[in-house]
Amino acid sequence: MTATWNWWRGIVLAFGLLVAMRFVLPLPFMNEIVIFSIYTIGCNFLLGRVGFISFGQPAYLAIGAYGTAFYLFYFGTNPYVGILVGLLAGFVFAFIVGLFFVRLRSDYFALVNMALAVIVFYMMQKVLADITKGDNGLWFLTNIDSTPIINLGRPADFFIFAMILGVAIWALYKYLDDSIFGACCLATKMNETKLEFLGYSNFKVRLTAFVIANTTTALAGCLYAIYLGFVNPEITSPARTADPVVVTILGGVGSLFGPIVGTVAYTGLRDVASKFIGNWELFVGLILVVIMMTNSGGLYGALESLFGRFFGPSRRVEGAPQGVKS
Amino acid sequence: MTAQLLTSGVIFGLSLASIYFLISVGLSLCFGLMRIISLDQLLYYSVGAFVTYSVSAAFESFWLGVFAGVLTGVVLAFAVERLIFRRIYERELTFSMITSFGILLAGIGAIKGIWGVVPKPVRVPFDQQIDLLGTGIPVYRLLVVAIAALVYAGLWVFLNRTIIGKAIRAGIEDMEHVEGLGINAARLFTVTFVIAGALSALAGGLYAPLIMVDPHMGLEVLAFVFMVVIIGGLGSIKGTLWSSLIVGQVVSIGSLIYAPLAVMAPFAMMLLILLVRPTGLFGAALAK
Repeated sequence: MTATWNWWRGIVLAFGLLVAMRFVLPLPFMNEIVIFSIYTIGCNFLLGRVGFISFGQPAYLAIGAYGTAFYLFYFGTNPYVGILVGLLAGFVFAFIVGLFFVRLRSDYFALVNMALAVIVFYMMQKVLADITKGDNGLWFLTNIDSTPIINLGRPADFFIFAMILGVAIWALYKYLDDSIFGACCLATKMNETKLEFLGYSNFKVRLTAFVIANTTTALAGCLYAIYLGFVNPEITSPARTADPVVVTILGGVGSLFGPIVGTVAYTGLRDVASKFIGNWELFVGLILVVIMMTNSGGLYGALESLFGRFFGPSRRVEGAPQGVKS
Repeated sequence: MTAQLLTSGVIFGLSLASIYFLISVGLSLCFGLMRIISLDQLLYYSVGAFVTYSVSAAFESFWLGVFAGVLTGVVLAFAVERLIFRRIYERELTFSMITSFGILLAGIGAIKGIWGVVPKPVRVPFDQQIDLLGTGIPVYRLLVVAIAALVYAGLWVFLNRTIIGKAIRAGIEDMEHVEGLGINAARLFTVTFVIAGALSALAGGLYAPLIMVDPHMGLEVLAFVFMVVIIGGLGSIKGTLWSSLIVGQVVSIGSLIYAPLAVMAPFAMMLLILLVRPTGLFGAALAK
């Protein structure tokens, strides 16, 4: 019993805080935070555990979002089926792309991934303009059926659904971190020769991690599609490729709750800053440079050392990264 | 497809290749010597184009504009290298990539603040055409190609005939030995970075009359520059030359056959090449 509680404590605390914030802050802001956290955890896992820096996350986000959008726009009306379709599309896409990408050295991986995001942008904007309606995007808010129990069309119900998904995803990632697979991921980052020597295949470990992380990202895309009721190519625009990376680093690389802390800080700051400056690129860019130059463990790292007791003993694996340093 | 269309397609591809080459050779040099991925080259490209626009509009002289653009690129690159990159050379490669992307984004924000978001036209310095195999070819495009060829030749002479150039080449092989010979590595890095920035700004200035100058122009060429660098192999100048020629032609001829091919074909080609050679055509298997 105690062991179970200890295991769940962090997740319960984190999501309990989010639920508490729901009563103070506006609902759209909270929905954005939950979706964005799910969006970021994939990037966090790839960067912190596997050592892949992925500037291409928007590509997978867009595949999930467009998968859902195609279903709801052309075929069906049930939002849950839409999410499943988007998830499946994301899984298949990540698997096919992963076969090519995970063999690359980390520098080539980063460049190719970023190129992928731009290519997906062009594809959705120009090449497939006949079915994606180009820059106008697909609007299907009125197509979404109201469903029993949790009606995804209502923002309040959507929040509940997103929270349930969030808890499930965080439990999954916590489980992955504890498992042998999680250890393999760290090993492939730190010493791939040794991992090979132990009888594991670097390629398989990386491919699995890549597919899991990017399917999560695609799920965030599905949620965006359902929540906003429309999808347009802007979701994967080249200027936004850094968003998940910024949030990952802001929150603290490789920490389980970094993405949530980072998202709250980033989304909040962006909303506040855009009121005063109205120029988010300058703002995001400067934040990124400052965080990189100070090279801290991110906001979560700072919080963790402050409130270490409440989160229990530090779960950071020996040698796991704090910030991106060599 | 007629022969005329093909001729103009090839020339168009060559001018594209020249622009890609000028930007990506800087990226490639920086990677080879300093082991950084300097995405902010795309910022110097945009800044070069915008300064060219402003100065050429104010003084009615395009070439003065390009000169001012390159000068701004040099100053900016120097400042960024001294203030930011100097502190992160020792770090992991991904570190420089994230930081430089931050610089790129902040720079785009600054450009939007200074020049606004509306795309701006730059007047072509001369719009004569010459007759080549029965097709009218704009002289300016040929001139762009010629300048890029001159830059390549100049770079070759610089790297093979001067002491600093030789030190840079040696540094790409083994930086520690170069330092052991008493060569100031920090200064070598600054020189390389500034050269890269100047070339990117030159590309921006030269390309400005052929497109509209807008704040996102750096992000628009980003995918192509990456493809060039990846296909050629990071750190190889010869590879960059060849792959920019290939990508330029594929984009140009591809768009003649079927418009969406312009973007998809180079990407597919890049994936295929990476399957066979994970480090690009001329990229060495660097032990890192």
